[in-house]
Amino acid sequence: MGLQKFPQECNIAITGRCNLRCHYCFYANEMTALADLPTAVWLSFFEELGRLGMMRVCVAGGEPFVRPDLFELIDGLIANRMRYSVLSNGTLIDENMLAKFEVGKRRLRLDYIQISIDGSCAEIHDKSRPGSFEKAIRGLRLLMEHRFPMAVRITINRHNLHDLENTAKLLLEDIGVPSVGTNDAMPIGSGCPNEPEVALTPREYLVAMKTMERLRTRYPGRLTATAGPQARLKMQAEMEEAKRTGVKTTRWGMGYLTACGCIFNKLDFLHDGTIVPCNMLPDLKLGNITTDSLEEIWRDHPTLRALRERRFIAMRDVPGCGDCEWNEYCNGSCPGLAHQMLGDFNLPNPRDCYRRFLEDTKETECPA
Amino acid sequence: MGIDVTPATVLRRNPDVVLREEDTDGALLFNPDTNQIRVLNATGLFVWKFMDGTRDLGAVVASFRESFEEVPQEVEAHALAFAGEMAAAGFLHPTDSPQA
Ligand code: SF4
Ligand code: SF4
Repeated sequence: MGLQKFPQECNIAITGRCNLRCHYCFYANEMTALADLPTAVWLSFFEELGRLGMMRVCVAGGEPFVRPDLFELIDGLIANRMRYSVLSNGTLIDENMLAKFEVGKRRLRLDYIQISIDGSCAEIHDKSRPGSFEKAIRGLRLLMEHRFPMAVRITINRHNLHDLENTAKLLLEDIGVPSVGTNDAMPIGSGCPNEPEVALTPREYLVAMKTMERLRTRYPGRLTATAGPQARLKMQAEMEEAKRTGVKTTRWGMGYLTACGCIFNKLDFLHDGTIVPCNMLPDLKLGNITTDSLEEIWRDHPTLRALRERRFIAMRDVPGCGDCEWNEYCNGSCPGLAHQMLGDFNLPNPRDCYRRFLEDTKETECPA
Repeated sequence: MGIDVTPATVLRRNPDVVLREEDTDGALLFNPDTNQIRVLNATGLFVWKFMDGTRDLGAVVASFRESFEEVPQEVEAHALAFAGEMAAAGFLHPTDSPQA
């Protein structure tokens, strides 16, 4: 795989501040202690990104709408020939805020605004995202009303597991959003101490997978996932198929630690300017935008090189995987959780181990 | 579908379009206003770089012939088709007359 000269996409956390305290937030604890960069520093960084050919920026946080200079920053991206999207909790979106997107090319260059909705009612949603349901739904409805490009994300967790059908109905039928993405609460950031409260157990994961399977049939093409139960269900089905037929999928590298592709496509930036490979690896600090050369980091940083070389490690040679019947078909999944949970990104993500999943869920009468 | 261009047409690059010259995969153009991408081969890249509003397409093709050996006859037709399509997609803007 030829490495791009510079990534086409990146996530930028423009702030560590947020008006909410979600129970699984990545952006918590030690992260919020880092100071936000001032406007001028971000603007000159955007000039550099423009020079290097960055095409798409995902503006994230924290909560981007808490920054009073948000639109100045967006204009900086636009002036440097980029498109952008915004990840938001939706609670600060009102008519005034949306009117600001109508200025200049702000609306034209907007790919989407993504809002997180975790339940069909305040009772469920607010368990993981306290005090935010009504405002988030109001923000979502406003985006719909004003025909903004948008995305909705459900983070599947222990609180909303049995409310997924209602949540899908609320979003896809009652409110009428075109599609909904799902993932699951992971033990990163404050998801670590809160793991027992939010992260699904293997048996709950199985319930979530079955539910998502039903929902996908009910709402064809309208539920998407690149991680979480729905994505894992698809991956496991492909592993089963490959093992049965002996034909491996070419969609992703089976039998090697190939996940994931992010390190070939993007870089992420924390709100204090720290450069990281991905927000799932927030403590692998590659440098800072105020002091380091982005091009050199992208091309030569030893951590990025090591992450990219991970794909040459055969699953059969990975400690703990040598005797696994799935090791020709597995790809070890996201290195972020392996790093977070085991302290080594050259190991498979323990939460996605199919062998363990089968053991943990065997004899489970799936109640879903 | 392209717009009609002739060797006398003068076009200039849309200044909002991003050119990424990749090491291995050639070049790529990105129009952030329309979210469109075009992949350029060597000929396309050469033509793109000359589209600065100072010369017409005939002059661009002549420069191409001067810069490369054994240029096939149909290069002009290809360059015109390419330029027409790029103009229709907003990557290039027509100008009334060459700009100094
Ligand atoms: S998940 Fe998002 S909305 Fe929730 S606390 Fe974290 S940054 Fe704020
Ligand atoms: S299923 Fe688990 S044990 Fe088997 S190869 Fe994958 S990560 Fe290793």
